Amino acid sequence: MEIPPLILQILGSLVAILALAGLARALGLGTGATLTGDDEMREVAADLVDGFVAERVSIARGGAAALAKGADGRIMLIKRHGNKYAGRLLSGDARVREEVDALIVDCGDRTFGSQRLSLNDPGYWADAINRL
Amino acid sequence: MPDFSPTQYAVPFFVLAVLAELIWARFRAPDAYEPKDTLVSLSFGLGSTIAGALFGGFALAVFIAAYEYRLFDLTPAPETPWWAAWWAWPLCFVLDDLKYYWVHRAGHRIRWFWASHVNHHSSQHYNLSTALRQSWTGAFTLGFVFALPLVLIGFHPAMIAICGGFNLIYQFWIHTESIGRMPRWFEAVMNTPSHHRVHHATNPRYLDRNYAGVFIVWDKIFGTFEPEHIGADERIRYGIVRQLGSFNLLYAVFHEWIAMIRDIARAPWRYKLSYLLKEPGWTHDGSRETSDMIRARWQQRVVDADRMTPSPRANPIAEPREAA
Repeated sequence: MEIPPLILQILGSLVAILALAGLARALGLGTGATLTGDDEMREVAADLVDGFVAERVSIARGGAAALAKGADGRIMLIKRHGNKYAGRLLSGDARVREEVDALIVDCGDRTFGSQRLSLNDPGYWADAINRL
Repeated sequence: MPDFSPTQYAVPFFVLAVLAELIWARFRAPDAYEPKDTLVSLSFGLGSTIAGALFGGFALAVFIAAYEYRLFDLTPAPETPWWAAWWAWPLCFVLDDLKYYWVHRAGHRIRWFWASHVNHHSSQHYNLSTALRQSWTGAFTLGFVFALPLVLIGFHPAMIAICGGFNLIYQFWIHTESIGRMPRWFEAVMNTPSHHRVHHATNPRYLDRNYAGVFIVWDKIFGTFEPEHIGADERIRYGIVRQLGSFNLLYAVFHEWIAMIRDIARAPWRYKLSYLLKEPGWTHDGSRETSDMIRARWQQRVVDADRMTPSPRANPIAEPREAA
């Protein structure tokens, strides 16, 4: 049986793709980022939304997610995305739920996903988000 | 039509070059790659090849039909084949690159086109795998229409396709952080890693700049050139203004189409077409920002910051003086 050239090309490409992505992992490239301090967090927030000046920030334990409140009252949910960060400004569609040890924040964007944040000041953020 | 695609022959070179950059990254820039991001970018490349095979026929059929109405015969004699005029090749390459500039500019300034082209920009990394992050949905825009003038002038569709293939191959190597700047004469004329890093940046000053494919001169002619500001306290940030935050391949492919169709469905009738044809970020109620608005806000911030900084001229004591 003769395999069409396009199928062969696709199979060959698939093997190369998996090999290269596997090699990137094996070489230890792009290991996860961790938010370590408030200054870094402010910088990340300003990178994600130009002109965002974070007045209050809270980094979740583990450093994989955070919340930032801007001078203008806007609140941004930030999460680790690979070795970078992504963020969403929260609107009235955002939902927040307090659990025993964490705050669950849903920004209303299904693909961004709900974030679980273990914070030192969950009550403040729950109130702030509910007021949006 | 000849069965020759330069990009197909270049695939082994692409693979080897990504491999070499991975090794470079291991020693010099471990954050330049992220395995899941690499997997998504390369899958985009494969999907784009499949989409091209499935949907590329329509544009080709239009070109072949349009070629029958060409204004000039660019062959040395009527009986010679379409590829025989040697001078037509470099001319076609340059004009195709001019066409690329405009189709690329449309890709950023018309949301319908951006819905497809955003795929190439949605990685927060800038490496050779990003170069292969090509759209699956290009056939669903009217990008091919930009090539029709070339066909009508008399360039054979195959010649245009081959020149376009070499154009794409050229653009591969400029997707890297491993090269700083090329020699000055080269930077002046050609698109380079430095110029194209600017194009992929989300920093306000860099938004919608440097659309060039091979020759950066188009941006200089049409007023969209911005040099890379190396050394300034301004790190380049890659990706899109609203970062995806997901490695889901299908979401990455279709997210802007979904968002655009949703906006059109929700908009009042008189604004529906604007959501298709105006620039990304445009809304009828001003609830989002376009790249022009983001840049204007940034420029105002820079002006305000300058005004707040006391000028040395205003304070003679602050001026540097020679020691007595």
